[in-house]
Amino acid sequence: MSSWLDYTINGLIVGNVYALVAVGLALIFGVSRLINFAQGSIYLVGAYIGWVAVVQLHTPLPLTIILVAVAAALVGLIIERFGLRPLQNSVRIAPLLATIGISFVLDQLVMLTFSPNPRALPSQLPDVRFQIGGGTIGPLDLLIAGVGLTSALLLFVFLRYSKLGWAVRATAQDRDAAMQMGVDVNRVNQAVFGIAAALGGVSGLLVGMYYNQIDTAMSLQATLKGVVAEVVGGAGNVPGAVIGSLLLGLVESYGVAVFGTSYRNLFAFLLLVVVLVLRPNGLFASARQAPPEPLTGTFIAPSRPVWIPRWALLIAAVVFAILPLLPVSFYVLQTLINAWLLGMLALSLTLVAGTIGQVSLGHAALLAIGAYTSALLSLTFAVPVGLAIIGGGLMSAALGTALISPSFRLRGHYVSIATLAIGEIVSLVILNWESVTRGPIGISGIPPLSLFGYELVSPISIYWFSFIVMVVLALLQGRLLGSHLGRSFRAIRDDDIAARAYGLSLNRYKSLAFIFGGFAAGVSGGIAAHLYSYINHETFNTQQSILALTVVILGGLGNVVGAILGAVALVGLPEVFRIAAEYRILIYGIVLLLLVRFRPQGLLGTV
Amino acid sequence: MSNIDRRTLVKGSLAALMAGAAFSRAALAQSSEPILLGVSGPLTGPNAQYGTQWKQGFDLALDEIEAAGGINGRKLAYNFEDSQSDPRQSVAIAQKFVSDPRIVMELGDFSSPASMAASPIYQRGGLVQFGFTNSHPDFTKGGDFMWSTSVSQADEQPLLAAYAVKRLGLKKLAVLHLNTDWGRTSRDYFVKAAKEHGAEIAVTEGYIAEERDFRSTLVRVRDANPDGLILISYYSDGALIARQARQVGLKQVICAASSVYSPKFLELGGEAVEDVHVGTRYFPEDPRPEVQTFIAGFKKKYNGVEPDAFNAYAYDAMNMAAAVVRIGGADRRAIRDAFTKVKDVSSVIFGKATFDVESRRVKGAMNAELVVRKGQFALWDGKPT
Repeated sequence: MSSWLDYTINGLIVGNVYALVAVGLALIFGVSRLINFAQGSIYLVGAYIGWVAVVQLHTPLPLTIILVAVAAALVGLIIERFGLRPLQNSVRIAPLLATIGISFVLDQLVMLTFSPNPRALPSQLPDVRFQIGGGTIGPLDLLIAGVGLTSALLLFVFLRYSKLGWAVRATAQDRDAAMQMGVDVNRVNQAVFGIAAALGGVSGLLVGMYYNQIDTAMSLQATLKGVVAEVVGGAGNVPGAVIGSLLLGLVESYGVAVFGTSYRNLFAFLLLVVVLVLRPNGLFASARQAPPEPLTGTFIAPSRPVWIPRWALLIAAVVFAILPLLPVSFYVLQTLINAWLLGMLALSLTLVAGTIGQVSLGHAALLAIGAYTSALLSLTFAVPVGLAIIGGGLMSAALGTALISPSFRLRGHYVSIATLAIGEIVSLVILNWESVTRGPIGISGIPPLSLFGYELVSPISIYWFSFIVMVVLALLQGRLLGSHLGRSFRAIRDDDIAARAYGLSLNRYKSLAFIFGGFAAGVSGGIAAHLYSYINHETFNTQQSILALTVVILGGLGNVVGAILGAVALVGLPEVFRIAAEYRILIYGIVLLLLVRFRPQGLLGTV
Repeated sequence: MSNIDRRTLVKGSLAALMAGAAFSRAALAQSSEPILLGVSGPLTGPNAQYGTQWKQGFDLALDEIEAAGGINGRKLAYNFEDSQSDPRQSVAIAQKFVSDPRIVMELGDFSSPASMAASPIYQRGGLVQFGFTNSHPDFTKGGDFMWSTSVSQADEQPLLAAYAVKRLGLKKLAVLHLNTDWGRTSRDYFVKAAKEHGAEIAVTEGYIAEERDFRSTLVRVRDANPDGLILISYYSDGALIARQARQVGLKQVICAASSVYSPKFLELGGEAVEDVHVGTRYFPEDPRPEVQTFIAGFKKKYNGVEPDAFNAYAYDAMNMAAAVVRIGGADRRAIRDAFTKVKDVSSVIFGKATFDVESRRVKGAMNAELVVRKGQFALWDGKPT
């Protein structure tokens, strides 16, 4: 029984670590209604500045903390001023995407400066340990808890009792009204970003010292856990973020206690989904708070889509269709095959995110379901590959829709967070359901693509196969969007309350969109499985989901041709920058930022 | 890119399309450019550190090869393409290498999904895919163009089990392993061998690569009451587990697989890794000349930095590549056949490396039994800790 005390203490300790990130996220969300995906990168920057201070300048701990806080705050101010302020009046999704771009840039800059090798960040506190339960806690555990709780408390007092704090809250409630009342909204934003970034930097420092280890890959995990903790506590609620973090830590710890280590993150994300389903605004959302996103359509940029004449599309299709007959290298064909596969995924996402307004950050899960289904059907049950791929599409459609349906009643950013969680859950189930998925060993020896008994192994035949499948899916989707059903979808996106008043059943239409979208994504995953011949739980990951979202926003939400164009561009860009080696992701991040800045409605505009 | 390069490239891709391999072989024989190897591996993304370590190992080996007169007078060089260890990118890179007639063989990729997704393309394209970190049991089953110097876990884990059970006398074991294809395969081989030696496995725990917090896992381990902890980890997670094991009050003997062997393990683990036992393929004080040349060369080239296991794999792989190209020339198919002919290639990891033609892997890894003493790896003197 004594072990339960230890599990509880361990859960609280790691919960403290999460709280350091979550508080900064909550603060920014509270004011800007923005999930700052760059918070993990500021945490990373803080850790490395701390490393320079501790290891090279030998600063004492208080000075180290001050140095890190000031430097990170500066980074935050720069992000706010140059990355986000110019996007104030564009679509809601643009700043979200910008923070993803900023995180690419920051992570890469740190990596290029410090090399990707992990470094030791020695703790500057004495190594005494106090016995509690069967384990021990040390001064650093207490300092982390102290910093987390104190900062949450200070922020709470600041928001409640200071004039600038009032301005922050007023801006959070209604930006335009605050502006009319004479609040300098920009200054408020600046203050919030500065404070949140300082907190993020210090948390990177403390967590680095806690583990005596920092590396350039630590930012994404920090962001993920921080976002989960923050949303569980009630997005934008600072004390809620602390409680959400502790709860997350406890759930993980008890999950390990009962089911074992490999289930750990599964429980973290299940907690998130359960909380969102039961309390869509998080556990501690205040009752007086205005609903975060009154209309799903707030994500969508008001724009006139670029009209591409039919003959031009036809010519483009013919050019791409006869491309393998021209002297182009297999490398170009393979790159385009990747683009067609991503294009199918983007079609799927542009339908659910662009046309019906349900932004998904977990779309890679649909790929994974399709890939595993198709691989297992053809390997275990000797189903012909062509049929197996269709089976993969159907399974993605059915299972994907079933998984996502609890999130239909969520709004705004909560939808994207729920889908992010579902994406992680699918990946973790694949890792743990060994009797079916073969767990971490993955599935090898998947038969190559074939049609009517003919194996498609040459790049040319795979190219044609994937191109034709994508074109057919695109045509079907174009037909769908032009129909009455498509108009109903867009009505739900633009104003779900009006659509419901008009008699549309939201859940039914959202399901229909996910069924079609799931099918396209599942087919893409199925083809990929037969193309690669080996898949495991890491083949379709979160980065793939983020890439898909980037593609549809780049192309123009709801825009079928835009999705394909975006896929070609985003598969092509990193390949074009390949000669830049270590710098290519940096360049990619900058290009992404420029696109969001100057063309937030996408290259071809929203339909 | 110089004019000559571009011309060869254009000619090359046309050649691949029109006349296939025969033409490109002729084009290559005429050139006086370096013999080019393709490398597909991570330079950015979450595994970027391993790509940079590869480069260090490759560059050192190439310096030595060039100093010794190159490959029959020609320089050996490599073209490193960043795959981020992502299968989508590694397949595109595979097509690029296969259709580039200058590339005579390929090294990499790092992770199993990225490597094995590209295997069918290399196999069909008739280009050797030489994976030197690919311990997935199915990697070399991809075809007769897949070869690997990655130590088969079927070889290594029984040695670690013997160290832990027979030499250190640990009878009841807790196994913590990275929950990847590598970690799982290793765990299964280890558990089998340890049981054969008469040990009992009290608990096994698999963790994901991004995990940083192991305290609750370690409470589970403590409750299973083992007399030894076995870590099938890389150096960074291994160091984290060791630190946290001491923090939650576990005092048992820790024994780790060779993959933790790195100066970084000592740096990141600090005092917590004192007395950790490591079975490893090489270590700096090993008197074998292969090891001493490697370490001296590495420290000289990289300002006194100590090499680690991934540096050594890459260094060995480049030397093996050179040996194979020496026999096979610049012909892709002849290079494949040369893998069956190379014998006793000087190797840091294997001493003398020769391929087992059936499994297309090298057998008989060296094993040194080390222990961390006073912050340094040292040969274990047989005394219990």
